[in-house]
Amino acid sequence: MLPFWWNNLTLLEWQRRWLLHRSVSGPLNSFLQHPMPKRDALISTLDFMALDLETTGLFAKRDEILSIGMVQIQGCRIHLNTASHMLVRPQQAIPEESAIIHGVTDDMSRTGKRLESVLPMVLDALKGKVLIAHYARLEITFLQAACRRIYGYPLVLPVVDTLRMESTRLKHSNRYAKAGDLRLDALRASYSLPRYRAHNALSDALGAGELFLAMIAHRAGSGEMLTLGEVMR
Amino acid sequence: MDIELVEILDFLTSCPPFDILPESIQHTLPAKISIRYARRGTHILERGDTLEFLQIIRTGAVEIFKQDGQLLVRLGEGDIFGAQTLQRGQSIVTRTEAMEDTLLYQLPAETFFELCEQSEQFKDYFGPLGADRLKRAIQNAEDGQESAFGLMAISLGEIISRKPVCLSTGASIQSAAKLMTDEEVSSLLLVEDKDLVGIITDRDLRRRVLAKGLDPSQPVSRVMSEAPKKISAHRSSFDAMLTMAENNTHHLPVHQDGQIVGVVTPYSLLQNQCTSVVFMVSKINLQQTIEGLQDVCTQIPQLLVNLSDSGTTAQSIGHALTVVTDTISRRLLRFAERAFGPAPVPFAWAAAGSQARNEQTVQSDQDHCLLIDDSYIPAQHGAYFEKLSHYVSDGLNICGFVYCPGNAMATNSQWRQPIRVWRRMFRRWIQEPTPKAVMLCSIFFDLKFIGGDESLFWYFRDCVLDNAGKNRIFLAHLAANASRNQPPVGFFRNFTLIRGGEHDDTVNLKKNGVIPIVDLARVYSLEKGIKDVNTRKRLEKCRDSGLLSGRGATDLIDAMAFIELTRIRHQAKRLRSGQSPNNYLPPEELTPFERDHLKDAFLIVRTMQSAMEQKYQISRF
Repeated sequence: MLPFWWNNLTLLEWQRRWLLHRSVSGPLNSFLQHPMPKRDALISTLDFMALDLETTGLFAKRDEILSIGMVQIQGCRIHLNTASHMLVRPQQAIPEESAIIHGVTDDMSRTGKRLESVLPMVLDALKGKVLIAHYARLEITFLQAACRRIYGYPLVLPVVDTLRMESTRLKHSNRYAKAGDLRLDALRASYSLPRYRAHNALSDALGAGELFLAMIAHRAGSGEMLTLGEVMR
Repeated sequence: MDIELVEILDFLTSCPPFDILPESIQHTLPAKISIRYARRGTHILERGDTLEFLQIIRTGAVEIFKQDGQLLVRLGEGDIFGAQTLQRGQSIVTRTEAMEDTLLYQLPAETFFELCEQSEQFKDYFGPLGADRLKRAIQNAEDGQESAFGLMAISLGEIISRKPVCLSTGASIQSAAKLMTDEEVSSLLLVEDKDLVGIITDRDLRRRVLAKGLDPSQPVSRVMSEAPKKISAHRSSFDAMLTMAENNTHHLPVHQDGQIVGVVTPYSLLQNQCTSVVFMVSKINLQQTIEGLQDVCTQIPQLLVNLSDSGTTAQSIGHALTVVTDTISRRLLRFAERAFGPAPVPFAWAAAGSQARNEQTVQSDQDHCLLIDDSYIPAQHGAYFEKLSHYVSDGLNICGFVYCPGNAMATNSQWRQPIRVWRRMFRRWIQEPTPKAVMLCSIFFDLKFIGGDESLFWYFRDCVLDNAGKNRIFLAHLAANASRNQPPVGFFRNFTLIRGGEHDDTVNLKKNGVIPIVDLARVYSLEKGIKDVNTRKRLEKCRDSGLLSGRGATDLIDAMAFIELTRIRHQAKRLRSGQSPNNYLPPEELTPFERDHLKDAFLIVRTMQSAMEQKYQISRF
């Protein structure tokens, strides 16, 4: 899970302002110009970006980003014309065991761009949006590490974690998930979403985005409008 | 487009009509789509909304309702809606609701119009209503199948190649034989003042003259067959074949405008497929033992395969197979009378169910009953008819027509009754239509005379029909029963599939396809007192008498033709691969187009069922 304050929009906003005072420059600076949305903002009025990373491992300090998949959600619709998939060229060779999972091989990676030139595009796409990811900790820690390394400062942005949404829901109804129940595929199946065979960053980003739509459809009771605060809990 | 949207592309290109678009166009589509999720029970589109997208169901199912709340259609995975509204450019007039959690792909209206412009085929898919599409599909299915069917559909007038060879009845047998040899014909028509009075064939000369040592100078009228069965030149070869089979004859004079224009024989019909029923029937008639009949019956599956391969219509195949069953039943009755002597009182053996309707396929079970004259005295005559019915029923079972699981057979003493008891039973069923009574009506209202005293049979039929059509409450119950089996209109993976057991993931074409149409036709035709039992004829008569709209009846006839054709093809396919034929169709056996047509057919049936439900106000029950 993310640090406790990551679901607190007020604390995130303070963090953002603090970073701006640190005279952050370049793409990160223009990213940080956008204030955090209010916690009572309606979901249907906000822009979201479902994002997924494929990495060489689980540890942001040691491992590297291999690919980034993103697709935008606006007005509770996923817009596939915004879908993008970027390959990142890592500095080390790709460990074999991770290649099996994400299917990104050394040959493919060599066609990718350096993280330094990919990151500005990612930050530009995320500007003013709420990030959606399944088990967002991984995405956040890798993006923060990348920003730290390249710009000297981490980034802050509002995040909705579909895994966290589900475990919160279960906790509220006094239930606990069994091991494996909260995996993206298992959760998607429980919301009658189609099974995607491929596991690349874009299909997983799309998968998380669809899961988000399904979850808010099931959360929003009769005519009730969901707010950002409710899905970030 | 990003190559990684392959999941979307794969799905889209598996859905008709997107599957027919060129690949270069297909690849541009995923990036144009927006995705939307609707929870079960929520409204997707409301009346009055303006539609901006073509809607494609990715997973789940939706229901579309008319203004008055009536269900218009159910759609499932891979189904598309909104096309007609987009084409008309009007606001939405229906209400669309998610009946399951549903993921929708939305294609912008302008992209839809572009595709329509780019591909005529794509546009056609959304063009005419389902019924027209279905009609075209049947035509394609039948046309596509070679010329064999073409030959069977050809009218006899086109087949007749030579004028008939005629002789007056006064001529000698020998001169007849000489004329036949000179003209190289196997039969001769015998005329008196230009009127056809008889026919003589090679076989008659052998059997009735040579074998008996008859003097060849005798007049030919002594050995001719009198008043031979004729057929009109406008009828088809297939009809000729059936007439030959039904009458067990090989020579059929053909008449046109009151004149005999020729003779058809199985040989002149040429096609083996065309004639195999004739041969089979004559073979049956030659058998003297049940074992012999059993032997001939082993060829019935092959007959179905041949007829199916030759592109014969389902209606004709059903008729042909039923003729075989009828012949076997008659033959068995003959054997029984031979074994037990003539019946002590008049009776009529009647077939029920699909045999009565001329709609049999292979592996039909036997349904029949015995109508006995009112002079019947159980103590005196009971034993005879019991023996007779067991003999015939056992014989049918040996021949492969298994015992009726519901015991609707003459061997059941309840269905072996004098006419007065039958009438009393029917009267009770009609006046007190309990579920069981209604079920029995659906069996015994479809009766066909097989053997015994035909006048007895028709007397009984008339009485019963008279009673039934006048009782509205009875008709309403019958209609309720008829809408019990509903066709699977769009559900998960396009069909409601059978779950659990060995027929997992299949559609029951008989129970959910054929039976609903048969039941519906029965209800309407009973109201009008229509005597026909064949479903197609019933529907035609209901249309002619105005009970059903012309459109409705024609659509139903087409739906029946397509479902039956699909069923027969499925059975032929199983037979060809050495499996036993059944009615359980796995949807993957169909091409996407065929699947659509089958859905159109099901939809027509469902629509007509709703109309029937309203007409007979069955919601009151």
